Amino acid sequence: MNYIKGAFAVLLFWYLTAWMIASPIIPFPHLVIKYLIDNFLTGSLHLHVLFSLYRIVTGIAIALLLAIPTGMFTGRIRALDQVISPVLYLLYPLPKIAFLPVFMVLFGIGDISKIILIALIIYFPAAVHIRDGVKSIPLQYFELGLACRLSPKNIVKDIMWPAMLPQLFSSLRITLGISLSVLFVSENYAATYGMGYHIMNNWVMANYIGMYGGIVLLSCTGLGLYILIDTIEHVAIPYKNTARRKTLSI
Amino acid sequence: MLNIRNVRINYGEKTACSNISLDVKTGESVSIIGKSGCGKTSLLYAIAGLLPVAEGSISIDGGTESCSIMFQQDRLLPWKKVIDNIVLGLEKKMRSEAQALLDRMGLSTYRDNYPDQLSGGERQRVALARSLIRAPKLLLLDEPLASLDEQTRELLQDDIKDYIVSKGITLLLVTHSIQEALYMGSKIVVMTNNGFVHAIENPIFHEVLMRGRSEFFSLEKSLRKALKGV
Repeated sequence: MNYIKGAFAVLLFWYLTAWMIASPIIPFPHLVIKYLIDNFLTGSLHLHVLFSLYRIVTGIAIALLLAIPTGMFTGRIRALDQVISPVLYLLYPLPKIAFLPVFMVLFGIGDISKIILIALIIYFPAAVHIRDGVKSIPLQYFELGLACRLSPKNIVKDIMWPAMLPQLFSSLRITLGISLSVLFVSENYAATYGMGYHIMNNWVMANYIGMYGGIVLLSCTGLGLYILIDTIEHVAIPYKNTARRKTLSI
Repeated sequence: MLNIRNVRINYGEKTACSNISLDVKTGESVSIIGKSGCGKTSLLYAIAGLLPVAEGSISIDGGTESCSIMFQQDRLLPWKKVIDNIVLGLEKKMRSEAQALLDRMGLSTYRDNYPDQLSGGERQRVALARSLIRAPKLLLLDEPLASLDEQTRELLQDDIKDYIVSKGITLLLVTHSIQEALYMGSKIVVMTNNGFVHAIENPIFHEVLMRGRSEFFSLEKSLRKALKGV
């Protein structure tokens, strides 16, 4: 229901802006919606969405596969933290997008360079977030693990992993927005499919309705991914949804 | 059951306590009282193997495997259901034993609840069940009831006492409460940073309704006096 209210608010703002500016550069929303329906029915938009989803989901998966062990080990092993964290801090602020040409030379102009760029951008904030999550696990839980004679494997499974899950989802939400922006930029180069390509291609051809169609599509994809993350979080962290917590939330 | 010989425990750079010697017989219930910071908790952690001993020795019949500790805070893992908190680190087949303990403690309906959904007293009961399911020969309690209201505290004291007496478990309890020390201990020792300075036997430990007896008050009085002297 809240999503519908939000969509109505955006549409209202869009209509007002289109009406005030009265220029083809901001078309009315109903024209864009009609364009989307027509093109989905003819099947010409599916591939753009699928290619973008493939790149972003693969990029996120690779980033998390690397960020989770990095964050967990640096968060738990001080000696490792002292070596790895300065490297993370040094590389985190670099504008990774500037390395896209380098990746294209190294990994070709296909999907791999785009996926690596997305993975690299997500990796750093995710690793730092997870590391901080592990560091913030109360010492008492580790004492409890020792008292209950948990093996190192079970300390990871029963204490560290569930304790850092909220941080993991939080970092996913933060980095998803960044990765969608990066996806848009990366699909401007040497791509024939993808929502970024679709937007820029229509912009170059001055097809503003098509361009806005691509923007709406990218936005809806982001919304869909956010809903998916929330749903997975709801299932993976069931204790956050207890009646008592719900009562206390404002 | 437990022999502590001239133990010194360091907490970081500082010495938490030293010159600690104590013998606890099998089936005995020993309450340790003393001022804050005298090293009571550190001693319990050292016995449980959670803190190293800087000097001296601690020996337990059956080793640290045979003891179980209940902490001051319940330390229930918020992401685990009640039943899973109890069997933490144990095999799945222990769930039936966990259920039996929950039944005994009047918590059978809470087995699939999360700790957040329990009251303070219920949480402490679950923490107690987690300590007891390991069938310890030596049970270490670190002020486990300090945060509870008087009524709940007395009910839990009864539960613990009934259980340890019926199973012949040796108990070592650290507490700030003189009344709790007396009710739970067949022997009460007063601790300082530099060893135990006072010990009294509790002849009415096994008496029913001991809290209302005149001997209880006279023992309480002598303990207060001993504590003032340290």
